[in-house]
Amino acid sequence: MAMEYVPNAEAIRPRRQIDWVPIITLGIPTLFVILFFVMPIVLIGRYSFNSIDPVTGLMTTDWSFAAYERALTSPIYQKIFLRTLTIALTSTIVALLLAYPLGYFIGAVAEPQQQGTLILLVLIPFWTSYVIRTYAWIGILQTNGFLQEVVGWVPGMGGSLLYSRAAVIIGFVHVYLPIMILPIYASARNMDKRYIEAAHDLGASPFRTFLRVTLPLTSPGIIAGIVLFFIPVFGSFVTPQLLGGTGDTMMGQQIQNQFGEAFNWPFGAALSMVMTAVVLVAMVLFFRFADPEEIYGG
Amino acid sequence: MAMETMSDVSIRNLVKTFGNAVAVDGISLEVPRGAFVTFLGSSGCGKTTTLRMIGGFEHPDSGEIYIQGKPMGRTPPHARDTSMVFQSYALFPHMSVRENIAFGLQERKVGKSEIKERVQAMLDLIELPHLGDRKPKQLSGGQQQRVALARSLIIEPTVLLLDEPLGALDLKLRKQMQIELKRIQRQVGITFIYVTHDQEEALTMSDRIVVMAAGRVEQEGSAEDIFDRPASRFVAEFMGAGNVLPVQVESHDATSTSVNFAGRAVTVPQPLPDGEIALVIRPEKLRLDSTDGWQGKVVESVFKGSMMSYRVELTDGTSMLAEVAHDDTAHRHAIGDTVMLNFRGNDATLVPGSIGAG
Repeated sequence: MAMEYVPNAEAIRPRRQIDWVPIITLGIPTLFVILFFVMPIVLIGRYSFNSIDPVTGLMTTDWSFAAYERALTSPIYQKIFLRTLTIALTSTIVALLLAYPLGYFIGAVAEPQQQGTLILLVLIPFWTSYVIRTYAWIGILQTNGFLQEVVGWVPGMGGSLLYSRAAVIIGFVHVYLPIMILPIYASARNMDKRYIEAAHDLGASPFRTFLRVTLPLTSPGIIAGIVLFFIPVFGSFVTPQLLGGTGDTMMGQQIQNQFGEAFNWPFGAALSMVMTAVVLVAMVLFFRFADPEEIYGG
Repeated sequence: MAMETMSDVSIRNLVKTFGNAVAVDGISLEVPRGAFVTFLGSSGCGKTTTLRMIGGFEHPDSGEIYIQGKPMGRTPPHARDTSMVFQSYALFPHMSVRENIAFGLQERKVGKSEIKERVQAMLDLIELPHLGDRKPKQLSGGQQQRVALARSLIIEPTVLLLDEPLGALDLKLRKQMQIELKRIQRQVGITFIYVTHDQEEALTMSDRIVVMAAGRVEQEGSAEDIFDRPASRFVAEFMGAGNVLPVQVESHDATSTSVNFAGRAVTVPQPLPDGEIALVIRPEKLRLDSTDGWQGKVVESVFKGSMMSYRVELTDGTSMLAEVAHDDTAHRHAIGDTVMLNFRGNDATLVPGSIGAG
């Protein structure tokens, strides 16, 4: 008699075991992001639809667009917004002009054995607190400060730079320069030097080679550097508070002011949301424009 | 002086060191116009460094390179009439195939419509007329290789330099590209200087082969010269001679030398080289079913498709490698069989260098 084949379900499908590894490794960061990133944004988002009772001065939780209306239509805030954008963009351009040659040199020109040391030197300022480094600039830029002592005789350098837009830009460039250098350095280091040799070989001068080959091939680093630099500068309030003039404030200061002094949380929250949206849209457009898939053909 | 006017590239006493390492140790050679010349050697022999110096990517410590009679000195690559096909191709990843090929002409300020025409002609030459708009990453290795070639050829260099351009391809594609490269070279008539460590590749394509070792030229000649008449033990072994044997000289005159190998006399039609000598005989020149010769025993047999490869131990203990065509004309030997091994003195070569010295 032929043996009847009885599939053993138990053997085919082993008892399901819960695999804890992905749950823990993915769960903890997810929880962290929800707690410290999603929740605050949702909270601020909710605040931005609150309003202030004009009689009692207390916040009411009705749904209101009043804060947004003021944030988007007030000429004063439009002006401050544009000023913030101008200062952030100017700082980014100045930083890029300094960061690119340095990052490129460390990544593509310096001997590989020296690269680690040079990057360490770039990062050393990070060992000192942002605020202390910004205070140091006060000492340098103030009347009869270090800068004036040294180059005071140069026409136009006689006065104090402190509490001016120039001081704010200097402060930003100094504080955030290293995080712009890093991605530029990385992309310069990863670029195959044969591309440069090939361009020379085909008759391109060093300058033409830079324009047609080096610059496009290091553009991912430039883009990452711009993004990493621009975002914190755009929302910054400490640097303009310490180094800038009272008539030249930035959005970050306005937002901090709404929360800390004016106690108009809905308006501060609405300004925050507008800033966040602007940065988000700008980044999406920027990354689409500089999509590596687009550059290298997927 | 007659040689000079015929040469596209003349190299005189070229020396290049990197730190303490001598990469090129006094090389002199002439590359005739329109020739396909191969620098052949193992890695570190100085072949790539020499090529890079011709292209202007490295500068010699001493010596001089002349291209069509003009000393190059420290002329940068973009001002030289040479072009390099890199081992890694180095196609610009952000440009399409068409843009890559057009690059050199754009830098020479050639008119737009002419560039368009010449790029299309190049795409036809490399037989990829429909792939002009792809990015290099979207092409296969063989296709990238052809684009790299087209990008260099379009600027019509005096000399095209190729640095192991087929190194990254698989064997079948490599064979195909070897024939293709040779076809393109004949078609465009430009001097090619080709660097490889693959002796078969060198034999297939080259008009002249320069065998290099330790920064020096070991031998220079046609493919047949190098293969049939190796000038040194190194070249013989590098070309896969298989049997490099100890011999004693018995007699010699201006045109021939008689030597004793394992108890029998062999007369080789060449004068006696200086110093110690060895006898070189290729495995495929040995016969195993001779009526007369050296008696030996088969100790190893390997089937190689078109060939049977046997290791034979002679009665005096000398081990020899023989290769016999695998067809119905050849008797098949088993391990342990006794064979009568023989070869003609005309097929053998005497080279300087003692056995066991290296």
